[in-house]
Amino acid sequence: MIQFFHVYKAYPGDPPVLSDINLNVEKGEFVFLTGPSGAGKTTLLKLVFCAEKATKGQILVGGRNIARIRESAVPYLRRNIGVVFQDFKLLPHRTVEDNVSFTLDVLGVPRAEAREKVRRMLKLVGLEHKAGSYPLRLSGGEQQRVVIARALVNDPTILLADEPTGNLDPALTVEIMDLLTQVNVRGTTVMVATHDATLLSRYQKRTVRLERGQIVSDEDGVKAARRMVV
Amino acid sequence: MSALSKVTYFCRSAAVGLKHSPFVHFIAVTTIAIALFSAGMARGAARVLDNLLASLGGEVEVTVYLAPELDADEVHGVRSLVLALSGGEVTLVSPDAALSRLRSELGDLGEALAELPENPLPVSLELRVPPERRNPDALLALAKTLRAAPGVAGVDYGEAAVQRLSAIARALRFGSLVAFAVVLGATVVIVAATLQLAIYSRRGEIEIQKLVGATDRFVKAPFLLEGLLQGVLGAAVALFGLWAFGRVLGPTLGALFAFLLGPGVAAPWVEPRLVLELLCAGCGLGLGGSFVAVGRFLRV
Repeated sequence: MIQFFHVYKAYPGDPPVLSDINLNVEKGEFVFLTGPSGAGKTTLLKLVFCAEKATKGQILVGGRNIARIRESAVPYLRRNIGVVFQDFKLLPHRTVEDNVSFTLDVLGVPRAEAREKVRRMLKLVGLEHKAGSYPLRLSGGEQQRVVIARALVNDPTILLADEPTGNLDPALTVEIMDLLTQVNVRGTTVMVATHDATLLSRYQKRTVRLERGQIVSDEDGVKAARRMVV
Repeated sequence: MSALSKVTYFCRSAAVGLKHSPFVHFIAVTTIAIALFSAGMARGAARVLDNLLASLGGEVEVTVYLAPELDADEVHGVRSLVLALSGGEVTLVSPDAALSRLRSELGDLGEALAELPENPLPVSLELRVPPERRNPDALLALAKTLRAAPGVAGVDYGEAAVQRLSAIARALRFGSLVAFAVVLGATVVIVAATLQLAIYSRRGEIEIQKLVGATDRFVKAPFLLEGLLQGVLGAAVALFGLWAFGRVLGPTLGALFAFLLGPGVAAPWVEPRLVLELLCAGCGLGLGGSFVAVGRFLRV
């Protein structure tokens, strides 16, 4: 589903952010990207949804080489990728329902159909009763669940989450991670960037560790969890 | 995917934009209105200038001097020919009448003419050209044709004065065109700058739109629609201003300058063609301003 071949990313005058990244994420897989701050986790995710362009190397998403993708084709790629941000990126002056249906507005989904999809998605994330509320009146966990609903409402094949629990307390963290696991079970490929070691040991998923822009380990969930314990 | 849903969304989004930043949009509409009002006034002034030229052109008379050896029948023949070539009014002036007129024009000095052994003035035809030929090129062509006609000794129509007047009119028109272009350019810049404030407050929305797969055209559409609405509103305000100006000050100006300008100034200031032109210009300004403004927020 997602393949990196000798990918480099560097900004002029700075040392490379990513160096010689080789990675293969299968369809329906759940992958943690971990490593210290500045390791390149966010940049790697950004490369997948074309918020950044690789300096060198090839990236295939769904069989398509996005290293050479035309600017005008990027929106169509992004329609298959849901993104969850640490800072939520919700519109404060729009209701929860409007925030979630924002994605469907872009796709030109008719209002009635969009409303039904949004209702189903809010039910999935447990916020059906908050459809008319404004984001700033919600807790951090609820806001993050709205973001997940927005990312999933048009049934993307890939879900990218950048530190989705970074601003949440442990209880809410579990709530959000359970939701992401549930989404993965439904068939969506999920990549989660996190530096929270407790998540890795609790959920025991494939873990790719980055340090100074390079992949230093790529282990299955059990192995990674065992190493965390040790 | 439904086109109707998208159009509905664009309209809704544009309405939200207008509602969220009313002051910014008020500034943009006012700027467009002032620019278009100035343009409308310039158009009115140009029309007045045209009327002035036409009325002065009407003063221009072509004098055709006939050869002295022509007899009465031949003079009549040349008169008919000139009448046919010009399509205007022709008055025959005999040498005696011409001398008498010259004497009265010279005043005291006219007495000197009595000393002349004989009347040196030829028979002439005074030609009042029709309005469509009262411009330098048409007058020059007519004079050339008349000079080549048999029995014509010379033609005089105040060529230099007509050409100078036309040159002044051309310079004024060119100057007003340049001024208008500068005003339009400045208006686009001001409208773009004010709209950028409105768009800046919605940059988060644009960023999310781009991240969930909106094309640049989709992101731009509501803002362009807002610009279009501003243009239409600005044009409407400008047209109302011109109409009010024409109603309140038009008659007074007409009375004040009637001696110079003729009846043209009393014509209505807002005509259907001007309405169409200002509406198109307003839409262009609004669209141009919003196009420039939204461009820089699309990079996500």
